[in-house]
Formats: sequence, structure tokens, C-alpha cells
Amino acid sequence: MRSPRPLALLACLATLSLTAACGGGSGFESDEAPEQQETTAAAGPVSLQVMIGSSGPAETDAVTAAVDAWASETGNEVEVIAATDLNQQLSQGFAAGSPPDVFYVSSDLVAGYANNGSLLPYAGELENAGDFYPNLVEAFTVDDEFMCAPKDFSTLGLVINNASWEAAGLTEDDLPTTWEELRDVATTLTTGDQVGLVTSAEYQRLGAFMAQAGGALVTDGAATVDSEANLEALQYVQSMLADGSMQLTGQVGAGWGGEAFGTGKAAMTIEGNWIAGAMTADYPDVDYQVAPLPAGPDGEASLSFTNCWGIAAESPSQAAATELVAFLTTPEQQMEFARAFGVMPSVEAAQEDFISEFPGFAAFVEQGDVAVTVPNAEGVSTVVADLNSQLQGLPDGDAAAILSSTQANLEAALG
Amino acid sequence: MTATTTSARSAAAPPSAPTQRRRAPRPGRAFLYVLLLAIAAVYLFPFLIQLASAFKTESDAANNALSLVPHPFSLAAFEQLFTRSDFPLWTMNSVIITLCVTAGRVFFNSMAGYALARLRFRGRGAVFAAIVAVMAVPGVVLLIPKFLVVNQLGIYDSYAGMILPLLADAAGVFIMKNFFESIPRSVEEAARIDGAGTFRIYWSVVLPMARPAIVTLVILSFQGSWNELAHFVVSRSDPDLNTLTTGVAALAAGSLGQGTQYPLKLAAALLMTIPVAVLFFVFQRQIMATAEGAVKE
Amino acid sequence: MSLTSGRRPRGKRVRSHEAGAGWLFTAPVLVVLGLFLALPVGMAAWVSVSNWSGAGSPFSSDVSFVGGANYSELLAGGGLVTQDFGTALRNNLWYVLLVVPTQTVLSLGLAVLVGRQAIRGRGFFRTAFYFPSVTSSVAITVVFLFLFGASGSVNAALAKLSVDGPNWFNDPRGVLHLLLGAVGLDQAPEALASSGALGVSWWEWLSGPSVAMSTLIMLAVFTTSGTFMLLFIAALQNIPSEVNEAAMVDGANAWQRFRRVTLPQLRPTLFTVLTLGLIGTWQVFDQIYVGTQGDPAKTTVTPAYLSYTASFQQQNWGQGAAIAFILFAIIIVFTILQRAALRERTTVPRRKRYVVPASARPGEGGRP
Repeated sequence: MRSPRPLALLACLATLSLTAACGGGSGFESDEAPEQQETTAAAGPVSLQVMIGSSGPAETDAVTAAVDAWASETGNEVEVIAATDLNQQLSQGFAAGSPPDVFYVSSDLVAGYANNGSLLPYAGELENAGDFYPNLVEAFTVDDEFMCAPKDFSTLGLVINNASWEAAGLTEDDLPTTWEELRDVATTLTTGDQVGLVTSAEYQRLGAFMAQAGGALVTDGAATVDSEANLEALQYVQSMLADGSMQLTGQVGAGWGGEAFGTGKAAMTIEGNWIAGAMTADYPDVDYQVAPLPAGPDGEASLSFTNCWGIAAESPSQAAATELVAFLTTPEQQMEFARAFGVMPSVEAAQEDFISEFPGFAAFVEQGDVAVTVPNAEGVSTVVADLNSQLQGLPDGDAAAILSSTQANLEAALG
Repeated sequence: MTATTTSARSAAAPPSAPTQRRRAPRPGRAFLYVLLLAIAAVYLFPFLIQLASAFKTESDAANNALSLVPHPFSLAAFEQLFTRSDFPLWTMNSVIITLCVTAGRVFFNSMAGYALARLRFRGRGAVFAAIVAVMAVPGVVLLIPKFLVVNQLGIYDSYAGMILPLLADAAGVFIMKNFFESIPRSVEEAARIDGAGTFRIYWSVVLPMARPAIVTLVILSFQGSWNELAHFVVSRSDPDLNTLTTGVAALAAGSLGQGTQYPLKLAAALLMTIPVAVLFFVFQRQIMATAEGAVKE
Repeated sequence: MSLTSGRRPRGKRVRSHEAGAGWLFTAPVLVVLGLFLALPVGMAAWVSVSNWSGAGSPFSSDVSFVGGANYSELLAGGGLVTQDFGTALRNNLWYVLLVVPTQTVLSLGLAVLVGRQAIRGRGFFRTAFYFPSVTSSVAITVVFLFLFGASGSVNAALAKLSVDGPNWFNDPRGVLHLLLGAVGLDQAPEALASSGALGVSWWEWLSGPSVAMSTLIMLAVFTTSGTFMLLFIAALQNIPSEVNEAAMVDGANAWQRFRRVTLPQLRPTLFTVLTLGLIGTWQVFDQIYVGTQGDPAKTTVTPAYLSYTASFQQQNWGQGAAIAFILFAIIIVFTILQRAALRERTTVPRRKRYVVPASARPGEGGRP
């Protein structure tokens, strides 16, 4: 029989580390909890947690740098956490009673968080409350209360690979301004190993076509999904999918439009200005330009997206958190973010600076005037998620059926 | 790497059972071997591809997905893993948690198994029935409730919250109980006559004899806690407490920048497989026997 | 499991110090099981009948009892919630229906192949077949994501055979629909399209697993067949060789011997494998969480994953907990059904299956 000693040793070691590590773990926890409670008052240095849903290292680094600058200026301590799944981690934080103090909230989720009392409605009292674009303020207003300060905003544009464009013999005059022209250039650009236009199968992209046809998900608080305009838009997309000049990201094996575009699977994509960060970081060799989306039967339109800086109603350091947000939304700071990861400032005062600094992105800014936001009523996000899952089947799907089932779901959600 | 070790090992190992009757090669037999080799190839192929692709460049992995030779050979994935991600931190967390859970389970389960097998006390039947009952509750059902309890107990986002719930392991109690029942009582009686107390007998007489069962328990606990995902998803959100499973799951979802980044993800998956693979090869025979024991239970 | 072995002959004097020690020794396990198994189930039961919205404690005064509202919205609400739940059930049902028989047959087949004494390199084959079972679900899912990517290894191999492989993880089309489409039936018959259950039309219930789900089905079979193979090998070794030899003398051929002699003896193991398979497949979560997140077109959403997203992402904790309990009920019902189905034809009296001869009991301890 073999000696049991090595095993006993292993068991002992493990038990030792059990007591050490587990004890350490819970000790760490109990150290921190009272500290947070003591700092309820705004006076004196506090420690804040900022949770962001980052698009990548560039964004994380930029936010960390900004927050650190504020922290050293004010003597507070701030920790930036890049969430792996922001929604889940916020939900857990709220349920655990220990949410981060400041965090990103996207406009489609703001109503849900506001209605269960998780958000502090602070934005109306900010000194710069009047500086934000009105449509962004509206996106974060729930029951007439301006919940949180818009962080920045993004719109969709038509992103074009210059090399492919020139190789196909196209010039600046060929930039598409109508659906027909878009189809023409996409067909011209489609080659053996490159698809003319690739974008994601989701409302957040294809919804732009709906808006260009004059359709919307919600009109005056009522669901208007199954409109002629929306059907026309989807049928237009379907016809392009059918003739091969357009494909969805899933069909070309890409996670999103930027990837399809950067890896050369697509000559054009419909994406937001966040694509700039990815292009610089991952595909620095691809030369591209951004054009406004073409006009549809009802004229020009795009979609805009925005996040705000939410502050937790349960945060023990609300005053400091509000100060931090005020700092992060100044025009200067927002230009820093624009430089780092390509978002557009949420305050009108920074618009000119942005255009002069990033003339190539003027198209994105111009789209701001014609862009519509995703409806923010509570429950809409799950309906949009369902619509997106149905849009993944658009190539062989029945557009009218997709719209009518979404209509029913949205009616139920809007109650 | 895992796959090559496999073949090297088993080639070196003698056939585990002596052949009783030698038969002349027949076509049917040849077909059998061809069939077995074909199935084995299917089973090993994914790991070989994983191993090769972890050392490929991104475009090589995308364009020559079937090739088993990286061309060019690249360590970029590993470099990125160790410099741009928290991979070392995840590994440390996984090691701490796995050691804690394994040690805790071995200790607690063997104590409870011993008590249920040997000690006579009022309520023993009820305790045993309770343990059988909780074995029937499927783990996924407990996902939300575990979060609620961990949260209510104030150990959310801590090692304690990640480790303590995993110590609940009714199957381990079973294994230990069954084992202790197989040990002759006479050994303990002798120690008892010498005046040893119950804990002494358990610790210095019975436990050392339980080596095979403990090894089984170590394997099961190690593998179980090292590979655990769902519990770590719901019991923490602090990125500093990411384990290899949650960390690599986040990598798979693209937390390190855009793009497919397959070499990176495959390298991470490869590295996290190594400890269980090592454990597997060290205790290979024991593992095979474990399964056999499970049937006899 | 040896349910009867907990009992000892009565009448023996219970030593008092043993009583104390007995409770002391079992206390840690009882506390942990109570805290993290029994208590959670109780709390989740409360949440499933409450309107807790995920902010603050579920026991605070502003959380109220809503009866079966969460359950009825899931099962009879008729809206998106019901439809999602129906879709998740549909997906998981196909997953179970395909994984459980496949993994059972495959693992039995592998066991028969490598269980023979006369196979050379038995150890190698067992190791090869079992190895996928020890790897983590996260790691193996990452590998499968690569293998079955649009330009992954599988499609590269298919391309060599001049087959244009599907875009596995992104293809929401149902396999059965594809097969029906191949024989010309690509439109739903009116009777199947117009009615359904849980907000999903019968035609959709009959879609079969999506191509993406089929990939996960292969993944499940790949990672579980090794474990079950070991169970079968062990069971095969327990069959006394005389029985087989007697049958051989009687002139039974290999298939007859397997069908008439071996298989009946394997019934208890078959039972274990099917039960474990059923329980495991109804709980599939990791692969979805890591691999597909329910996409494409919700065809890989399962009740377990839906329960997670409802709670942790949409903050519908009551609904999430209710899904978990319904899933629990489904697992119990399926296990009972499967027990009943297997028991009917068994000749072994029910009690006997649980009584294990003392000599066989140590099991894992009995190695040389």
C-alpha cells in the first residue's frame, strides 16, 4: 500500500489556504461596507465606483484618465469598472443594494430603471442641464423628469471602403443619395469575395430604412409597426439581400458591421461613429470615408443612439457623483472622449469644435438633425430584442409577418 | 498539447487488461480498428485544431482553419492574453477557489459520510433523507435563488460567496459514506479501546484509510469547481473576482476589442484546460474506476 | 442508490458521545446544504409569487404577493413573455429529444467497442473518448465556435468535399423545416400555422432544432458520451461471462446475444444514463451563455437561459424564478415518465434494484 502522506499534505495545504483565502475574502467585504456608509455626507473625500459598458480599451482608458483627473483634483477616490455585461451587472448591483455610484444607461433602458426607483433623477439640477441637445434630453426624460445627463451621442452613417470604391471606378459623384443609387453602387461593389453592403440584422441598423420610408415603431405613444412604410423598407432590404448586393453580418460570419468592413468582407457598412475606434485599433490599414445615409421615399433619416451617466438612487455619495458627472459632460471633456473613441459630444457648444477637428465625420453630425431615437418607453427594449431576433431570419422571412407580430407585442408592452 | 500527451501516454502504457485469447487477424477485426481510429480522430480533432490555432496569426486561423500547422508560428495570442487581459488574475482566483472548494468538500463530506456510516445518533435517518432530497434539485433551478441568498447573507462579490455555496455537495457525502461502510469496524474498535476520541479515530485512523475515496472526491471537486461557470456568473460582478470560466466567457463575447480573435480565445481555452487535463492524466485509472464505482452504487 | 443502507440493526445501545459527534460531524454539510440549497429554494418560491422588481430586498414591505400572476403570464398571458417561454421550451425539447437518445446509443456503442478485453490500445481509445468530458464547458464551447464558424474548420473540410457548409451558429432555420422544404413542403399547412400552444404555432413547434441548435446538440453529445461510456463499460464488466458463454453455446449470434442477454442486464445502467441525460439536457445553460446568447432568432434560448435573462437582464425576477420552478417540474415529470416507461418491461422487482449486495457497495474504493 502506498503512503497516504502526499495526499494528507495536499489536504492540509488546501485547508490552510481555505481558511486564509476565504477569511480574506469575507474580511475584504466587511472592511468595505461600513466605509461606504460613513461617507454619506458630501463633505470630505469619498470613494466612487463608475461602471461603464466599454467598446474597448480605448474607451476604458479615456474614461479612466478623465475620472482620475477629477479624482486627484477633488481628492476623492474613483474606481472605473468596465463591465462585461453592463445590464446584468447593474441588475445584480441594484438587487444587491450595492450598485455602482455612476454608470452608463442606454436610452431604451432608462424607463425601466427609473420606474423601479433605481435611478436618481438629478439631471434637471445640473448647471449645464440646458446645454444638451433637446432630442437627447427627451430620450432621458421619464414622466417629465430629466433623469440623467446624456453622455454623448452617435448616429448611423454609410461607411465606405475607399480602395474598393476606386477599384470599382466610382467617384465622389456616385455617393448614393437615394435607395436606387444605394442598390446600384452596392451591386457595382459586390465582387467574388466582397459584398457591397453588410450590416447587422437588427432594428438599430435596419430601422434607418424604416425611418427613411417614413415609418416608426411608435408614433405619438401608439404602436405603428405594421405600417406600409415599414413594410416597404423591409421589402427593399429583402430585395437587396436577394440579389446579393447586401448581406447581413451573420451571413458573412462577422460579429458586427465594423468587423465585416474591417476584414474586407464588405465594401460598405451602415454603422455609427464608434466604428472609428475599432478601425484605428484593429484595422488601421483600411482607408475609409463616411457618407450620409441615402434618402428613402420619405426623405433623409438616420437613427441616433445615446447613453447617459446614471447615478444610483442608493449611492451614498450622490453629491460627489453629480459633481463628477458635471465634470465629465463639460465640452472640453467630451472632446477628449471624442478624440479617444469617436463619440460625438452631447452638448451643442462642442459641435463646431467637433466638426472642425473631425471633418471626415461631419456626415455623422449632419445626420443628427434627421436622426430618430429608439423609443424609450418601458418594455420596448424586449420588444425590440424580439424584433431583432426575427430580423435575423429576414433573408427568407416574411416581412409583413415580422411587422405584425412586433405590432402585437409592442401594443401589449405600451399597454 | 493535450492531445499529444494523450497518445504518448497511452502508447507507453501497457494494455490495461491482459488479452485472454489471441485471435488471428480477421477482416472484421481490421474494420473494428479502422472504425475505432476514425471515431478517435473525430474526438481528438477539435483539440488538435485548438492547439494549432492558438499559435496561429489571426488571418492564418481564419483562412486556414483546417490546417494543423501554424504558418507562421505566432505567440501573439498568448502575449496579448498575459499583457492585455487579466488572465493571470483569473487563474489565481480559479486556483484559490478550486483549492478552497476541494479542501472544504473533502473535509466536510468525509466527516458527514463517516458520521452517517458509523456513528449512531438520533435523527440520522432524517439527515440522510434530507441529503438525498437535495440531490434531486437541479442546479440551474438554483441560479436565481443562490444569488438572492448570497446577496441576503452579505457575501455577494466576495470569495466567501463564491466558495461557500459550492461546498454543498450531497453526492460527495454519498461517496464517502459508501466507502466508510466498506472498511471493517475492527480497526476503529481497536483505537477506541486505546481510548481515542471520535475525532481522533476519524482523523488519524479512518481518514488515512480512505485514500481512494478521497482521491475520487478530489478529482470530482477539482473538476467541478474549476469548470463551474453559472455560479460565478451570479455570485459576483467585480472584475477582480473573475475566474477563468467567467473571464474566458467574457473574452469569447469579445471583451478584448473587436473581431473574432480566435487564436486569443483558443489560447485562453487551451490554458484553462491544462490543469484538469493534468489531473486527468495523473489519476486516469482512478477516474475510470470512479465511474465503475458509480454504477455499483 | 443505496437508500436502505442508512439503517442499522436496532436495539444496540446508542453511545451518548456518538450522538453529539454525529450531529457535529454532519453539521457543516447540513448548514451549507440548508443555507445554499433549501433556503434558496424557499426564497425563490417567494420571489416567484411576488412583484419584486430587483431593487432592494425582496422581503421589504413594498414588495407584495401577486399569487400566480407570474406563472399565468408565462403559461397563458399570450404576449411576448408566453411566446418566448414557448420558444424556449420548443428549443429545449428538441435538444432533449435528440441529445438523450444519441448520447445513450453512442456511449453504449463505444462501450461495447472498447469494453472488449481483446482490443489493443483500449486505454488510448477510452482516453480519447473520455477526454472531452473533463474539459470545461466554456473552453469546449469556444473551440466549437471556431470549428463551426462561417469559415471554420468544419466548413473548410466540407469545402474540400465541394459542399457549401451552412453558417452554423448564425443559421436560425429549423432542420425539420429544411428537410420538409427539400421535399417541397416549404409553406406551413393552414391547420398547423393557425393554431399552436404557448404563443408558438404548431408549425413552429415542428421546426426541429435550428442549425445553430444542432451544433450545440453535437457539442453535448461530444462532451457527454465519454462519461456515459465509462458507466456502460463498468456495467458490461459486471455481467458474468458465463451467461454470455451459455448463450454462445446455444448458438445465438452476436446481435442476438447483445439484444437478449447483454441489454437486459444493462437496464439499471441504462436507467441511470437516461435519467442523468434528461436532467442534464433540460438544464443546458453554459453553452448558451458562452456561445450563442440565445441567437440566432431565439432558436437557442432555453428555459434555463431565459430564466437567467428575465431576472438578471430584464429585472423580471418573479418571472425568472417562476420559469425555474416550471423547469424543475418539467424535469421531475420527465424523470417519472421515463422511470415508468422503463419499469413496465422490467422483470426485476422494484425493491431489488436499490438493494446492492454489500460486497459491491464500496465501488470506487475497490481498486487494487
